[in-house]
Amino acid sequence: MLRQIFVAAVFVLGTAQPLLADNAVDPNADFKAFREYFTKRFPKVPLNDFVNGPYSMDEGLRNQWKSIEEFPPYEFAVEHGKERFAKPFKNGKTLGDCFPNKGIGIRQNYPYFDTKSGEVITLELALNQCLEANGEKPLDYSSQDMAALTAYMAFTSRGKPFDIKIPNDPRALAAYRSGEQYFYTRRGQLNFSCASCHVQNPGGHIRTEVLAPALGILNAMPIYRSTWENMGTITRRFRTCNSQVRGVPLPGQDVLYRNVEYYLSYMGNGLPISGPSARP
Amino acid sequence: MTGGGRIARGAMALAMLLAGAALTPPGAQADGQKLAFDRAKGNCLTCHEIKGGPAPGNLGPPLADMKARFPDRKELIAIISDETKRNPLTVMPPFKRNLILNDKEIEVIVDFLQTL
Amino acid sequence: MRTRTLIRLSVILSVVGLTTAALAASADDFKAALAKAEAANKQAGALKNQWTTTKDELKAAQKAAASGNFDEAVKHANQAEALAKASIAQSKAEETAWTAAIVR
Repeated sequence: MLRQIFVAAVFVLGTAQPLLADNAVDPNADFKAFREYFTKRFPKVPLNDFVNGPYSMDEGLRNQWKSIEEFPPYEFAVEHGKERFAKPFKNGKTLGDCFPNKGIGIRQNYPYFDTKSGEVITLELALNQCLEANGEKPLDYSSQDMAALTAYMAFTSRGKPFDIKIPNDPRALAAYRSGEQYFYTRRGQLNFSCASCHVQNPGGHIRTEVLAPALGILNAMPIYRSTWENMGTITRRFRTCNSQVRGVPLPGQDVLYRNVEYYLSYMGNGLPISGPSARP
Repeated sequence: MTGGGRIARGAMALAMLLAGAALTPPGAQADGQKLAFDRAKGNCLTCHEIKGGPAPGNLGPPLADMKARFPDRKELIAIISDETKRNPLTVMPPFKRNLILNDKEIEVIVDFLQTL
Repeated sequence: MRTRTLIRLSVILSVVGLTTAALAASADDFKAALAKAEAANKQAGALKNQWTTTKDELKAAQKAAASGNFDEAVKHANQAEALAKASIAQSKAEETAWTAAIVR
């Protein structure tokens, strides 16, 4: 507990952002307000438990989850991901060659803002960039293969706190702000924003489904969903949520998806990576 | 058959039609419930507990005691049409503004709601 | 006498003819309605907020037109345009409305 507070404190102080002249975007202040909102609303939920989504909100569901985790349904995906990660391309290189530390134990650093290209790089995007740079076919962002790769990488980072950085660069702050805007903007014929469900109604029931809190919501990705009977990447989840509110999904890894992932991941800083995980 | 006789019968038929229209047609409540429960229409069970509806959500209050809580049907019509006017942060979809339900459908649903 | 009756008859018939023609939609009516709907939906796409129901109505319009039912096709195209316009209005309103929802 103390160690976690220390880690969080070092992180928060270490990323103190300078204020812009007008309409200051202050991720640090946003981060504090976001966290406080959830811890105040759910005082009995231990901070790290928020990453468990609906299970942190509903005792009955939690018991179901315990039995599911006896034979974790995402294990096959992790194994498949590990194999695929080590499998050489036609040119002899592997996916590990594209990443720091051969891709082991680095998931908590994604997404990051690439100052060279001026855009947010997510893990899914980085994987496809690696494939394309090595003459290999990129993966569909909602595919089982992509989920297997991110499942493996998340698995190697399990327990490590999310460590998203927003560099001292107006473009990075703009991307962060764009992600924040996407998160709170109503869309689709049903007029829901992400916040409608995950900020205003965590623990609420939509028919029989229990809504996850937005705090730590990406820490658990990718997920094995029982309703899907297979794995879901972050892209898949965003796209499904869009269609559920009757909005046409954006193409995979659209800049808005990457920006909202950047925003939400930053909000989950300090909380442990728990992915890959099971969901109802 | 004289012209006058035909006219008289026509007038009677018209009168009966008008009288029939003034009464609530049989099955109106069933229509309102059908619309309310239909996922492509009211989709009300997603967020509201409603008598006779399976597996309801709970993002909104249970729809019970409606005649007492909403004696003026205009209020219900307003809420269903566009609740954001009253509460900008509501999660209730604006059924009329976003063209999910038309005026007639909203009226029929309100008829049903007032029986709850 | 007969000439007047004939004239009256032809006037009535032409009025009826024009009215019936105005009631039934033509392929051209459909093309015009579809163009308007698609333009609006394209604008919604630029705002990254197209609705799935707009897409469904456009599909229904095309399907009806393909079987020659232009009345139905125009109805669906008009509905698609209305939905697309509503999605644009939503985006425009949300440009400023979203900040009210931020957790503080």
